Amino acid sequence: MKQSGSGKWNKYFVAGLLMTGLAVLLGIVGFFWTPYSTTEMSAAEKFAAPSLRHLFGTDNFGRDIFSRVMQGLGTTISISSLVVLFSGSVGILLGAVTGYFGGLLDEVVMRITDALNGFPSILLTLVIISVLGSGRQNVIISLGLVFVPSFIRIVRSEFIRLRDMDYIRRARLMGVGKRRILFVHMLPNIFSVFWVSVMIGFNNAILAESGMSYLGIGVQPPDASLGKMLSDAQGYLQSAPWYALAPGLTIVWVVLGFSLFGEGIRRSQ
Amino acid sequence: MKNQAAGGRLTGMITIENLSVAFDGTEVVKNVSLQLEDGEILGVVGESGSGKSVTALTLMGLAPAEAQVTSGRILYDDVVLREAGKPCDKALYQRYQGARMSMVFQEPMTSLNPTKRVGGQVEEVLKLHTEPAKGEGRSRVLETFAAVGLHDVEKVYASYPHQLSGGMRQRVMIAMAVILHPGLIVADEPTTALDVTIQNQIISLLQEINRKQNNAMLFITHDLNLARRLCQKIAVMKDGCVVEYGTGEEIFGRPQEAYTKELIEAVPSRLKKRQTVKASSASVLQVRDLSVFYQEGSNSLFSRNKKQCVVSGAEFDVYSGESLGLVGESGCGKTSLSKAILGMNKEIRGKIIHHSLRPQMIFQDPYSSLNPAKTIGWLLQEPLRAACALDKSIAMTKGDMVAAAHDMLHRVGMGEKYFDRKPSQLSGGQRQRVSIAQALITNPGFIVADEPVSALDVTIQAQIMELLRKLQEEMHLSYLFISHDINVVYQMCDRIMIMKEGRIIEIGETEEIFNHPREEYTRLLLCNS
Repeated sequence: MKQSGSGKWNKYFVAGLLMTGLAVLLGIVGFFWTPYSTTEMSAAEKFAAPSLRHLFGTDNFGRDIFSRVMQGLGTTISISSLVVLFSGSVGILLGAVTGYFGGLLDEVVMRITDALNGFPSILLTLVIISVLGSGRQNVIISLGLVFVPSFIRIVRSEFIRLRDMDYIRRARLMGVGKRRILFVHMLPNIFSVFWVSVMIGFNNAILAESGMSYLGIGVQPPDASLGKMLSDAQGYLQSAPWYALAPGLTIVWVVLGFSLFGEGIRRSQ
Repeated sequence: MKNQAAGGRLTGMITIENLSVAFDGTEVVKNVSLQLEDGEILGVVGESGSGKSVTALTLMGLAPAEAQVTSGRILYDDVVLREAGKPCDKALYQRYQGARMSMVFQEPMTSLNPTKRVGGQVEEVLKLHTEPAKGEGRSRVLETFAAVGLHDVEKVYASYPHQLSGGMRQRVMIAMAVILHPGLIVADEPTTALDVTIQNQIISLLQEINRKQNNAMLFITHDLNLARRLCQKIAVMKDGCVVEYGTGEEIFGRPQEAYTKELIEAVPSRLKKRQTVKASSASVLQVRDLSVFYQEGSNSLFSRNKKQCVVSGAEFDVYSGESLGLVGESGCGKTSLSKAILGMNKEIRGKIIHHSLRPQMIFQDPYSSLNPAKTIGWLLQEPLRAACALDKSIAMTKGDMVAAAHDMLHRVGMGEKYFDRKPSQLSGGQRQRVSIAQALITNPGFIVADEPVSALDVTIQAQIMELLRKLQEEMHLSYLFISHDINVVYQMCDRIMIMKEGRIIEIGETEEIFNHPREEYTRLLLCNS
């Protein structure tokens, strides 16, 4: 019997797709066009409540919050994507090699990831940022490094599981080259697990990026960022609650969307 | 005891009348009627999916809640246990399960709780249904342990399941099933997970219990030979129906149904004529004084690796065009030897000389030997791609490869339509055919077949063996045919090697080994199957 909780187009998948789709679309559009300028200040329109003119209201400088959320979404999603792309590809590469071959390289890589895991992630990013300096590019590098260990572990354990499967033994017997075994024979079989962890990683990256901006070590003004907006808004929680609610709910929306998306992928198998 | 309880009737009786069981509206058991008297062993034989296990589980009240009885009823003596349209009466069954009916499962490891001592687990069954005095429970368990042929019962009582061998675990399970002298014992493939020599002991034990306790026994198996040896009556099931029902002699001597005939035909047996392929004297493989080692604890950086010798002093030849059988029980080193021959284990001493290019292997489990992410067509072309990549002198275009793959698919008896399918869309037998095709497409000359038919149903088994023989003739192949089933080996092989504890103890012509075995162990293997 077919249930709505499973199958390719299950409810989780569809809901996740719609939510993330909307967020990504707004973010991309935000790169090229926003209803209002994100930097232009207007003393006359300070703290305007949400209305048709300003969907999410305006902030303490009279800037349109919806436009800034659009731009912040773009920043957050692009940074998170690059972080996941970086840590995902490094994870696949190192995880595949260490999982398949084992031995000394595996031992060394695993001990390094253990060491990285030993630090709280926010502390580790702080250290890297203080060495490299802040800025968009360094945020990506530091978060990427922090996220690599989890990807290595997931990919490695899948490769260990697969390397003793009969079809991999058989590929070795046929004389298929090692690189081809790793990336043509084995890799497609870990995608189901991998995509779910990409979704989880993406969510963590969004939260981490927002957290860093909130602490002021993320992207720097005048770039809009959801985390930075939250921290700016905390002084006006009582007088202009929409200022904090807009970026906060946006973060919730995106994270929930990707969680549902990941769950949908998991259930579709 | 039960006879008195039944009010002077001479025999207790378990009756299944017109039983139909459905899952989600699909009937998996259809109008099955069986009758069992005390002291009788009824065999239910069928291939996977024939409904034999569902019948047994419904009888035991252990079927999942979705299983609905759509017609018929189950009677224990005169008590109706289950009726059409009514849900399972849990309270009623609780009084019967364990005390008056019990079950022995296939896999003893998963049926026992790994965190508890087995003695306590058996005693618990006793305590659930009777109130033994202090110390009496323990002594009854020890008595039963001795009765099921366990030695050193005190030690077994205090052991955890993992400390016991497979055969001992199955004996404990049987002790658990018989300790309350139930009127009915259902045994679901109780010997399938065991080695042949152990298998035989368990069968004798079940027979002995049946004789002593005079209970009815329902024996479920896929193995016709086993049913014939153990059971007075046999029911053959197919697609949820009992297609034939009668005594062992009736079924084997005068099978009425085409399916029964097919089943009997398919069973590898020494009584049937063997086809031999003429072998030449040129050898494709020479093994000289080969020892194979197994590395232990290689996972840690600082611990010294321990080497264990799993095969020692193996010496034999495989000649072109012949099938050499390798027989032995699990753990005797058959698989280690074959891996060493194929170069998958480098921890060896001695010589392996191949006279064929890239020998290939056919694996036991058709579900893990094909890459689930690829299509059948891709899988069949991959060996050719690999060969081209290794040897630049082989020039094959994409079209050549596709044509070769189609040709090979046709040779193993599968149609064009399977070319773009994924392995998950095929049945076990079809997968094994693709697996064979993949091994043979580069025409390797020498094939190691590691239990290629033991995961398959008996009729499929016969088809695959036929296919292997046909391909051997067409492509002039040599097989090293590994199996634990000596009857399969008898049908397939020209010569046989017997392996025990890492040593090849006997090697010779098939007929010679079967008629005049030199070693005691070989004799034991032969008479046990």
